[in-house]
Order: sequence, then C-alpha cells, then structure tokens
Amino acid sequence: MAKTQEIVVVGCGRLGALLASHLSNQGHNVVIVDAREVAFDQLSAEFSGFTVVGDATEMAVLEQSRINRADCLLAVTDEDNINLMVAQVARTMFEVSTVIARVYDPTREAIYKEFGIDTISPTQLSADALLNILHQSSLVTS
Amino acid sequence: MDRYQAFLRQRYCAIGGYTGLVCLIAGLGILSPLLALIFYPEEWRLAGGFLVPGLLLSTLGWAAWHWLTPRNGRSLTLQEGSVIVVLAWLLVILFGTVPFLWISGLTLTQAFFESTSGWTTTGLSVVDVTQAPRLILLFRSITELYGGAGLAIITLSAIAGPSGAGISSAEGRSEQLAPHVRRSAKLVLSIYSGYVAIGIIALRIAGMDWFDAVNHAFAALSTGGFSTRADSIGYWNSVPIEVVTWVLMLLGGFNFVLSYLILRGKWLSLWRDGQMRLQALLLGVSAIVLWVGGTGAVYGSVEKALRVALFEPISALTTTGFSTVGYGDWSGLGWLILILLMLVGGGAGSTAGGIKQMRIYILYRSLLWEIQQMLMPDRLVSEPKIWQTNNRRFLDDAQVRQTALFVFLYLVTYGVICLIMAGHGYSLEESLFETASAMSTVGLSVGVTAPDAPSTLLWTEIVAMFLGRLEFLTVLVGLIRLLRDIRPAINGESNL
Repeated sequence: MAKTQEIVVVGCGRLGALLASHLSNQGHNVVIVDAREVAFDQLSAEFSGFTVVGDATEMAVLEQSRINRADCLLAVTDEDNINLMVAQVARTMFEVSTVIARVYDPTREAIYKEFGIDTISPTQLSADALLNILHQSSLVTS
Repeated sequence: MDRYQAFLRQRYCAIGGYTGLVCLIAGLGILSPLLALIFYPEEWRLAGGFLVPGLLLSTLGWAAWHWLTPRNGRSLTLQEGSVIVVLAWLLVILFGTVPFLWISGLTLTQAFFESTSGWTTTGLSVVDVTQAPRLILLFRSITELYGGAGLAIITLSAIAGPSGAGISSAEGRSEQLAPHVRRSAKLVLSIYSGYVAIGIIALRIAGMDWFDAVNHAFAALSTGGFSTRADSIGYWNSVPIEVVTWVLMLLGGFNFVLSYLILRGKWLSLWRDGQMRLQALLLGVSAIVLWVGGTGAVYGSVEKALRVALFEPISALTTTGFSTVGYGDWSGLGWLILILLMLVGGGAGSTAGGIKQMRIYILYRSLLWEIQQMLMPDRLVSEPKIWQTNNRRFLDDAQVRQTALFVFLYLVTYGVICLIMAGHGYSLEESLFETASAMSTVGLSVGVTAPDAPSTLLWTEIVAMFLGRLEFLTVLVGLIRLLRDIRPAINGESNL
C-alpha cells in the first residue's frame, strides 16, 4: 500500500487499536469506530485519525465514518456476528473494494467466502502454527 | 546512566529536533519580508535586520532538527507537544524582536511587545506606523500571518513533520478536517492561503493600493489587526473597504472545519453548528444595541452610525482589532459590549483568540440541561446533544468540567491582570478594556498601550498575549514538564 488510502477500522480492541495506530503512522487516512468511548484510550500517540463512537451495524454510524469514500474496511470486533454484518454491509451497500473480517469460529469462514469477504481466523492460525511446531519436533506424525 | 535518564534524553532529543524544525520554518518567515525588496529596492539597507535573525534562527533550527531528530519514535504525546510549542514560540518571539531593535530602534521591552503582539495575532502596537519603513510594516503583517495559521500547523504540513496529533492539539487545534493530521494541516493551509489571495485582490478592488491590500489581508485573515495607518481601517472611510474587511475578519474567526464543509457544499452543517448560531446572535444583538444605545447619538448620520455599529463588534468578536473610530466619546454601554465580545472571542479551531464561542455554547447548553433536570422527575436520564461542525456530540460531565475550569482560569487571570493595570493608575474602564484586548489577542486599544507606557505594564500585556494565544494549559503543562524533567535528565535522579 504505497498510496494514501482511506481505511475504516471497526472495533477498537487490542487488534483494532494496533492496526489503526500503525496505519495512521504510515500516513493513511484512518477512521476507527467503537461503541465505547473509553476503548479509544488504547490508541497510541501515533494515531491521528478520526474516532467515531457508535454501533457500527447502524447505517448512520457507518456513514459518519466516511465509508462512502473508503478503500478498505477492517472488521475486527470480538463478535463474529458483528464483523460479518458490518463486512457484508460494507461490501454490498457501500461497495468497498477491500473488506477483511476477523472470525474466531473457523467453521464460519466458508460462509464469509461465499459473500466475497476475506477473513482472518485467529483460531485457525493458532492451530496451524501449533501443529506446525509439533510436526517439526516430530511428536505427532501425520 | 539509569534507564529513566536514558529515556528522558531520548525523548528530549526528539523534542529538540522538532522544536528545531518549527524554528527553521519560522526563520524562513522572518526572511520573507526581503522578497519585498524587489518592489522597494531603496530599502536594501534594512536587509541586515532581517537577514541576521532569520538566518540564525533557520540555521540553529536546521542543526537541531538534523542532529537531534530520532529515526524511530517520531510520534509525540500531548505533553511533549506542549513543551515543543512553548519552547518554539518563546524562541520565535525572541528572534522576532531583532528587526524592531535593529531597524526601528525600539527598546528591548517595546521590541518584545511588538514581536509578541505580532506572532500571537494581537495587533496592539507601540510602533509609529507613519514613520516605519515598508519592510517593517510588512514584517509585522507576516508575523501575524504565520501566527494565525499556527506554527505547529505549518510544521506538520511539512513532509518531515512528526507523526501523531500531539503538537497540533498543544497549539489548540484538536479538531481536524481529515482523518490524518498531516492531510488536515495541509487542507487548513490551502484554505487559509486561498482566503488570503482572495482577500488581497478584494481589498485592491475595493480601493487600497497593493501594499496596503497585502498587509490588511494578512492582518484581517489572521485576526491580527496590525494596520499600516494610524487610524486603521478608519483612514479610508470607505464602505467597500469596510464590507470586504467584515467578510475577511469573519472568515478568519471561522472554524476551519466549517469553512471546509461549506466549500464542499454542506450548508446544513453551517446552520446546525452551535458556534455559528451563537455568533449570529451575538453580532446581531450587539449591533442593534450599539446602534440604538450608543453610536446613533455620537455620529450624526444614520449611515455612519450603522457602519460603526456593525464594524466594531465584528472586529472585537473575531479578535481582529481593526477599528474605524476611536472609543473616547463612547458611552459605558458601548465599551461594555466590546469588552464582552472580546472575552467571548472567535470560533474554536480558527485563527482567533478569546474564551472561544464553543466553550460559551457548551456552558449555555449545560445550564439549560441543569435547569431541565431540576424540573423533570428524578429518574429521568437525559443527554443533550450539541452539533460541533458536522458531528453530533453529547455533553458529558468531564467536558463540562474542563470547559468550566478553563473559563474560570481565564476570568481569574483576567482579574489579576486588570488589577495590575489599575495599579498603574489607569481607570477601571481602561484597565478592563485593554486587558480583554490583550488576553483575547484582539488589539483594540483605548490608548493605554503606547510607546511611553511603563515597561512593567508592557510586560504584563506580553504575558497576557502569550497565555491567551496558547490557551493557558499548554503553557502550564509545557513549562512544568520541562522544569521537572531538566534535573533527572542531567543528573539521572529518577525520583519522580
């Protein structure tokens, strides 16, 4: 991502705050959304974008977070259902070109794929990484 | 060297580096009047007065920036931003005195006064503008132009500026136009430069010559108020010039976020914004009261009385400080209206000073909220909304507390400075007027500020202007942080 992009981050938890601070430091226009105002305390001093307080499943909140002109939306709240819904709305209603959602439950990833939403599953990633280590130490043979 | 000391030194390297960058840019500002030598080559003898401080400040700044700025850890917290802002403003004001000392032959106190008045966009003056060379007049206007935009904003828009919003928030510009602080700073500067360009042309068409048009456009949009004439805008006594100046002053006292939204055609936000409503109400009411209760009787013709009743409130509320008349023959009512308007000041996030209309509006809404809660059932939960530019916000206790404390601090300081002024033997009205003018960086004067004023009085006004421009808390936080950190950074005693 060389050019300055418009990015919306939904969910200001540990991951959301880290992503938003990092992207803002790189010079991108970042808007972060969270339902609780105290969540924004986790943002580092590098962050210089907008913060929007509200429920991201509401259209008005998404419009306030400049989703109309967003190039990218990251749905990283700790609720799979919210992430799915926000990602779907961004994809179909606002036609955001890149939409990535975090999903804990790996069995849901297939459904997300059908909707054209890229996913990251921490559960799946951890499982893969752990299995990889075990394979290398040859405790488990495949 | 313990870890805390190492950490402090690393942070102060960053602080020194970015202070250097601000100084580098301000140094170029001090050099910029020399461009006028193309048009007025006969004043080349004065060039030294700008070359020496400008080059010195730029070189020092460049050196600090080049050697001290760390490669990583370029983001600044609000506290570090405050230290940078206070240090940089002090240095810039210090170097800005040199042209006045060198060329105009002012005393040190007078030079400090004029320099502070310029950079803080106040516009009180101890220079005799009828005798001053053109370069000095232009230099005064340029310091206002820079001070109005804000040194931090100009620095942030530079490519190598720091990341994070710490430094711009410290200078009182926490509202942003775009969701990135650098993009926002660039937008502010483009809007500002656009206004200045339009202002120069409009004033030229309205009847000023080019030199006056440039100076007055700079001074009006930065809400500074230095004029090239002793009678200020009153010198021309022309309706077109006054009307153009109204517009420019109002644009200068306008929140930049609002300007941006209007330029993008979002007129609804203008109508909803709390500050706009307050400003319209204040200006309307003051103009009518002034006309009926004051100027109508003082000035014979209806037309002149109306013009004065419109011009002076706009000048006071936007904290510009241009005037079309003297106030010696005004009634107490007229003086009081101007004093109150000066204390209220311009919009938050504009070039203006004062308590700021947003704070007054927040307090007004909180008062209504309080009364409403007393009348409603105990269990009622309510959260009043206010529109700040395009954002709907809800009043909460923390915000009301901060606002109320700020206003309290402002009024306490106002009282103390009035005391000092009255202690110098000036009348109550004069003290109240002149203090409000200095603290809100307005620049209207009733004659207290003069070259022969006692130097203690001038220094008091210098402090008032400095505190007023940087909004108190930044100065306090910056200075206290600096004083606390000096000893552990040098000796390594980590007793916090």
